[in-house]
Order: sequence, then C-alpha cells, then structure tokens
Amino acid sequence: MRHRLLTTTAALAAAMAFPAPAPAQRPSNAGNAINIPFERYTLPNGLTVIVSVDRTIPQAAVDVWYHVGSKNEASGRTGFAHMFEHVMFTGSGHVPYGMHDRLTEGVGGNNNGSTSNDRTNYFENVPANYVESALWLESDRMGFLLDQLDEAKFVAQRDIVQNERRQGIDNQPYGRAFEILTAATLPESHPYSWPVVGYMADLQRATVEDVKQFFRLYYAPSNATLAIVGDFDPARAKQWVARYFGDLPRGAPITRPAVPPVMLPSEQRLVFEDRVQVPRVYLAWPGAGDDSDDTPALDFLAQILSGPRTARLTKALVYDQQSAASVSAFNDTNERFGSFLIFITPRPGHPLTELEASADSIIERLKRDGPTPDELQRAAAGLEFSFVSALESNLGRAEMLLSGSVFHGDPAQYRTRFAQLRGVTAADVKRVANSYLGPGRVVLSIVPLGEADQASRPDQSRTVSVSPDGGHYIMEGK
Amino acid sequence: MTRPAIVLVSLLALQGAPLAAQERLDRTVPPTPGPAPAIRVPTWTRTTLANGAELVVTEKHDLPLVAVSINFVGGAYNFEPADKLGVAPFTAQMLSEGTTSKTADQLSEAQQMLGTQISTGVIGEGGSIGFTALKDKFEPALALVADMLVNSTFPAPALDRIRGRTLVQLQQAKDQPNAIASNVFAKVVYGTTHPYGRVMNETTVQAITRDDIVAFHAAYYRPGRAVISVTGDVQPAAVKAAVEKALAGWPAGGSRPSWQYAAAPSPQVTTIYLVDKPNAAQSVFAIGLPGPARDTPDFYVIQVMNNLLGGLFQSRLNHNIREVKGYSYGVSSNFAFGRGPGAFRAGGGIVTAKTDSALIEFMKEFRGAAGDVPFTDDEITQGKESLIQSLPRRFSSVNGIGSSVSSIFTQDLPHSFYQDYPANINAVTRDDLVRVARKYVDLRHLNIVIVGDRAVVEPLLQATGIAPIVRLDLEGRPVPIP
Repeated sequence: MRHRLLTTTAALAAAMAFPAPAPAQRPSNAGNAINIPFERYTLPNGLTVIVSVDRTIPQAAVDVWYHVGSKNEASGRTGFAHMFEHVMFTGSGHVPYGMHDRLTEGVGGNNNGSTSNDRTNYFENVPANYVESALWLESDRMGFLLDQLDEAKFVAQRDIVQNERRQGIDNQPYGRAFEILTAATLPESHPYSWPVVGYMADLQRATVEDVKQFFRLYYAPSNATLAIVGDFDPARAKQWVARYFGDLPRGAPITRPAVPPVMLPSEQRLVFEDRVQVPRVYLAWPGAGDDSDDTPALDFLAQILSGPRTARLTKALVYDQQSAASVSAFNDTNERFGSFLIFITPRPGHPLTELEASADSIIERLKRDGPTPDELQRAAAGLEFSFVSALESNLGRAEMLLSGSVFHGDPAQYRTRFAQLRGVTAADVKRVANSYLGPGRVVLSIVPLGEADQASRPDQSRTVSVSPDGGHYIMEGK
Repeated sequence: MTRPAIVLVSLLALQGAPLAAQERLDRTVPPTPGPAPAIRVPTWTRTTLANGAELVVTEKHDLPLVAVSINFVGGAYNFEPADKLGVAPFTAQMLSEGTTSKTADQLSEAQQMLGTQISTGVIGEGGSIGFTALKDKFEPALALVADMLVNSTFPAPALDRIRGRTLVQLQQAKDQPNAIASNVFAKVVYGTTHPYGRVMNETTVQAITRDDIVAFHAAYYRPGRAVISVTGDVQPAAVKAAVEKALAGWPAGGSRPSWQYAAAPSPQVTTIYLVDKPNAAQSVFAIGLPGPARDTPDFYVIQVMNNLLGGLFQSRLNHNIREVKGYSYGVSSNFAFGRGPGAFRAGGGIVTAKTDSALIEFMKEFRGAAGDVPFTDDEITQGKESLIQSLPRRFSSVNGIGSSVSSIFTQDLPHSFYQDYPANINAVTRDDLVRVARKYVDLRHLNIVIVGDRAVVEPLLQATGIAPIVRLDLEGRPVPIP
C-alpha cells in the first residue's frame, strides 16, 4: 500500500502479531439483507465497468482492479508488482505529481492502492462532486503513465518500498515468519512462493525498463475492472467512463502463470532466531484457493479452532491448560492457492514442544469427531455477519463486487459464496480437516537469538537464516 | 529513454479514438467539479433514564443493523491507583468472565448464537461496553450487556490468567520499536507523576488483587457518568423502553470527573533521548511536548495547522521526508487533545543511515510551519476542505455515527458541533496558523525520542548539533555512559 503498511502478507502478519477478538455474529435474516444493486458492462477496449448507486452519504468510491499481482513475477525479480503500484502515484501524462492527492485528500476524500498475490487495486473515496475527477485521474494513469516516468521518480519510490519492507518485515519481531513459511511450503518456482513486498536484493535490482514492460503488459483496460459505487448519477457516470477510458487501447492477451497443485510429502521442521524475547511456534499447511469449493468449510474450520473463548484451541490452550498467551488459526485464501495457519505464543514455563503436541491432539480430536451442531451454528454467525457489515461502506461494496467479477466473472458471486457458507455441514468441516491438516506441513519455531534449543522438538528442526544479500532464506539441508 | 514509450502509447490511443466520438477531449484540463455537497449531519433524540444515564438514539434505516455503546466519562487516569496501573483494562476484561447466572463460556456462547460480540474497554479518559448486531438481536444482546455490567462475579482464577497473558504481552512489547518509543515518549514528556506519563508495567500488574477489581468496578461503572448511544434501524421510543427495562437493575449513582489534572512538568530544553535497539533496520522517532486540552479555543486552528504539517499524505513532513527524500515509508504528526495537556507528537520509522538527515528535515519543517515557509493559499484551502468534506465518511456506518454523536455528550461539545464545524474551520487565517505552530510546536522544548541502532546513529546525531543526547533504556531510565 501506498499510505499504510498493508501488502496482503504484511496485513496478515500484523493481524497475527496482535490478534483482535474475532467478531462472531449471526444474522438470521441475512439472506434477505444482502443485496447490492449494480450494473456491469464492458467497453469495446475490454474495460469492465461496474456501477452501483447508494446515496447514504454524499460521497462515492472509484476503485480499479488490475488482474496482476506478485504471482505474475518471477523468482529473483520479486516485489515488482507492488513497487509498480507505488510508481502509479508519481503522476502521468496529463496529471502532474501531486494533483492526484490535490483532487482527493485535498478536497475531503482519500486515495490508496494495494497489491496482493493476485491483483492490484487503486481507489479514491471522493465527495460526490469529484467523481468525474477521480475517473480522469484513473484513466490518465491507465493510459499515459509512462509519459511522465523518469529514473529519479522511480528510484525514490524504490527507496520508499525498501523502507516499507524494513518497517513491516525486517524491523518487526516475528516479521519474517510468513515469508519463511511460504518459502518452505512451496518450491522456488511456484508463483505463490515469494512475498508480495519482495526480497530486499530483488527490489534493488529493479529498473525503469522493467516498469515500462510491466505497464505495457498488464496495465491495459482489457486487464482492468472499474467500479463506481456511491452517490452519483449513473447515466452521467457512464458518459464520463466512455469519455475518459473509451480511447485507451486494448492490451495484448496475457498468459497467466501456471499454479501447480501443492502437496508436502512430509513434515518440515524449521527454527529461526530473531530479535524476540518470547518464542512462538507456527504450523502451516497448503490450503485451498478462492477457486476451490473447500474454502467455505476451511473458513469454518478456522473459526471453530480459534477466536472466541469457546473455540477449540483457544479454550484448551489459553483457558483450560493456560499454557498459551494466545493462539490463532487462519484460513488464508488467494485466487488459486491458500494456506491454513496456526500460531501459538506460550506462557512462561511451557515449551513450544508441549504446545505443538497439545494443539495436535485438539486437531486430531476434531478430525475424528467433527464439530458439534452448536459449534457449526456459532461459526456460521461470524462468517455470515462479515458480509452484512462489509455493505456499510462504498469501498466495501466496491471490493465485494470487484473480487467476484475479476476472480469469478460475476460481481454477484458474493451471493453464491454466501449460500455456500450457509450450506456448510459438520461433515464438510470434518472432511476438510482430514484432507488438509495432514502430516505434510511446515512447523516453524521463532526463538530468541542464540536459543535454538527453545524450538519445538529442536533436535529435529533445521536452521533457517537470511542470505547475506537479503535475497532469500537459507534452509539448512534443503 | 521515455520518448519511445510516448510515441507507442499515443499511436495506439489514436487507433482507439472512435470510441470518444463526442467532442475532442483535452486531458490536460481537470474536470470542473460541481458544487460541494451539503454536509448532512445525523439528527438524534436525547433523553435521561430513570437511573440518570443519558440515552442518545440516532436512526439509520438503510441496513438492518444496530450499534449499541454504553460510554463512560472518565477512565484509567481518573480511577486507577498509580501503583496498580492495569486495574482499569483488567476490570473491563473481567466483565466477560461470568455473572451470577452465567459462566464465562455461557456468556460467550450466548453472544455467538445471537450473532454478536460484546466488547469492553477502559482507556485513559473514557470507557465503554457495547456491540453491533442485526436489529432483531438488539434486546437479547442488551440483556447480556446489562448482566455483565451489574452481575459480574470477577472470579480470582480469571484474574490470574489475564495477568499471565498480559505479562507475556508486556515482554513482547519490549521487542516492538513503536511500543518502546510510545512508552519512553510518555515518560520523558510527562514524568512519572502526571497520569499521562504512567505506563502499566510488570510491577503494577503484579500488584493487582481481586479486591482492586471489585473496587474499581463499584466506583467506575455508574450510570451517572454514562452516555448510552443506540444507532441504526431502530425507533427511539422503543429503544428507550428496551433500555430502561434491560438496565432496571443498575442503581443510580456516580458523577462525571472534575478533570483536575496536575500541571505537566515544566518544559525541558530540547533534548535527544536515544534508546538502543542494536541492528535495527529503522530508527523510530517520537518528537513532541505537552499540548493544549481539547477545550482550547485554538482547537480548529490546530486541526488545520497539524493537517498541513503532518496530517495529510501531502503534508509538509510526509511530502518532504517520504516523497522527496525517501527516508521513510511515512511520517506524521498529531495532537492528542485530551481533557488535560495532551501531547503534540510527530514521528515515524526512518531508515537507520538517514537518522540524522531526517531529524534535520523534521526541524526544518517545524520552523517552516512556524513562519519560515508560510503555508500557501492552496495549502490552506486543502487543509480546510479535507477536514470539512471528510465529515460524511464518519456518518457512513452505525458505529461511526454512534461514536461521532456520543462524543458530543462525553466531551461536552456544543450540540451544533458538526453543523458549525465548516464555519469554524473556514474562519482560520494564515496568521492563526503561524501563531499556533510557534506556540505548540515549541522548538526550544522538544523531547526527541529515537529508538534505533545506537552504535550507528549516535555519532550521526551528535554531528548535527541539534540537541544534547541522553541515553535511556527500554523503560526510559537513564543509562550511564561508560
């Protein structure tokens, strides 16, 4: 992200570093409550447009998704999609640097962008009378970014991105955990194996020429979807879209990276020494992508394992045994790959080995018996409510429509996903627990410097270190 | 290098031209905005309950949601004994540990089944307990809140568990450079006697007993200092009846605090307080001093000035230190605006090698705001518009409306605060901005806390000659120089 530290990975890391209580809410009539009226159409140049009117407040969100993210990069050239996102804020052919902020935050709105493994988004929240300005700004950088780009601008953004990495990863306790887990779970050639923010050595290697090539390949209207959501006149908005975007050229067809299925044949045990005082153990399994029918059941599984005090791992480790200060389970889903993650922070006097074994026995019981009907109902509540609350903001509605449109070809896909969530059964949860949480996983202990013996089963854990150039992780014996 | 790219894109653009069949488009001219939309401030109804609590109900009918918050005026600074810091947040957490009729697990399961989570908290000058839910769960969820508020049993084993988890968090915070900077900043700016300088630590947490929790609960959670806000798809009369019924067992009593704070310590000459974090990739800066209370007549001027100095993305500080110099992922400034002398604080994470250069730029921008480089008309326009036209976003969610409206009553603001806000902001002049920058960003009395790799940054900072350097440890205690 441009303004705050939030690449997908970093956001997840932040959420995991300070686990917030998971909201758990159940709308009984939510099926009726969830409806976003919208219209979708496509320009002749391939730009997909979604308009959705809501006059609750006199503002609107303009949100553009480009279907490109870190998985379109190559090993050794990581972090480029995100660095490119920064370059998109340096001005374009007819928009001098600074104008973008002048016409958004300078008039009471805001703007930002974010990059994930799969897509890059750019958005403006603006007062209702600045919707046309926002479309003008977005169209200009979609069509004319390279007109204004020079070496100095690029180098400045490269420095900022390196600072973003320092702040979010390198200078944070446990900051490298998710990079290590991903690198250990996936072969180096796998498009989901590197961090969105990129490795430091790769960031330094990027050039202006890379920026140009990347732009020409991925930043065409035919690879973009534009959503306008909020208080505006839809007929005028469509005229503006035609006016500002209509003459931008269609892009060449894009070859999407192949995403091979991932199976870890056996458990990988790792230990990383970090500047921390309290050790932590992380468990990671290859999960399901957003394209899998198993994703809703895996979301339930995470809800049943951690969060409220009655969730299985939370109740056992934090409340009954009191061996853990905190425990969190996450189902992290990307477009075509996912991970199921658990991390545990111990209370003093409880070695990581003990905590891992306790967690495993809880998981084994769930795999054997499945969840109770009450557990299922409670978990459904939290997952269902997140849909309703996301409808409150223009940007929330825009993101919901866009992810459906870009990843599933249907802006109303949220309805399908919602129906799937309501249909998840105890047997589904039991099945995914057994098929995903198997022996093939990564167990990573992060321990204080010089205290590798604090790892979970230290004698079986291989040491991880950062390569001297910061380019990758070295896993002893791999 | 850029020219071939320009030619390529322009040629392709021409081929696509038939799509823009209307008039010729001149992209160099930004669209002319229509008139600014009128700010619509939600209206509310306000009544007083039989037990003395105020009730504020705001209707929003676009979604079947309701947000409920029982807000308390006053908090840890007013009610926490100085040697038991942590009693306030511990008591808030203990409200979820069981009541006379429900175990903690039963309370939790009841909330989950209702599709809600009741959150509790107490901070320095306020506290709250509340939830957001679908509107048909309003009454049963409110009944759980009332049960927690009135009938909690505070079991001793739960206190020990909360204490144990908190001790781990305190230990983890010592690895967190931002947490270290905040902790040390509070101590150097306010000393240890002013409530704003008190920070919970292992000793105070260990000293807390169940009796302390019971006493805090009895003294603090009283309707006489409560402002209950209910916002969403509801009718005021029905809400009032439901709240009266749910809270019938909550006896009257309590009053608002007097807010008599001790004065902040007398200003110290500008000093760099350096906390060592060996091998840190960044230096975390926290620069500031005690500021004015929220009721200062300078409130609106300070809002605009701070917006331009370090509030906006294109503020002086962030534009220069991040965008032009590339020393940081982001720097900012803000005023805390409490009931007492809340701090002005500027800072951010700075790449270690540029710690000295960044400090020079911070000082330069402070001097600029104070008149060396006067704010331009366009900057001032942006500083004002960004505050005025962002108001509607506060009013887009039931929680946003609830907290905006209830803050009028918890902070004793005029009822027309939001209606008058545009005029009050627009009245700010350039002279006002210079005056408040000089007054509140006092260059002679800055506390400059830097958490970073001392071996690298200390000689760099020394060479700037900006201020003497004092070494502090993670707790803000002086480290003797060998």
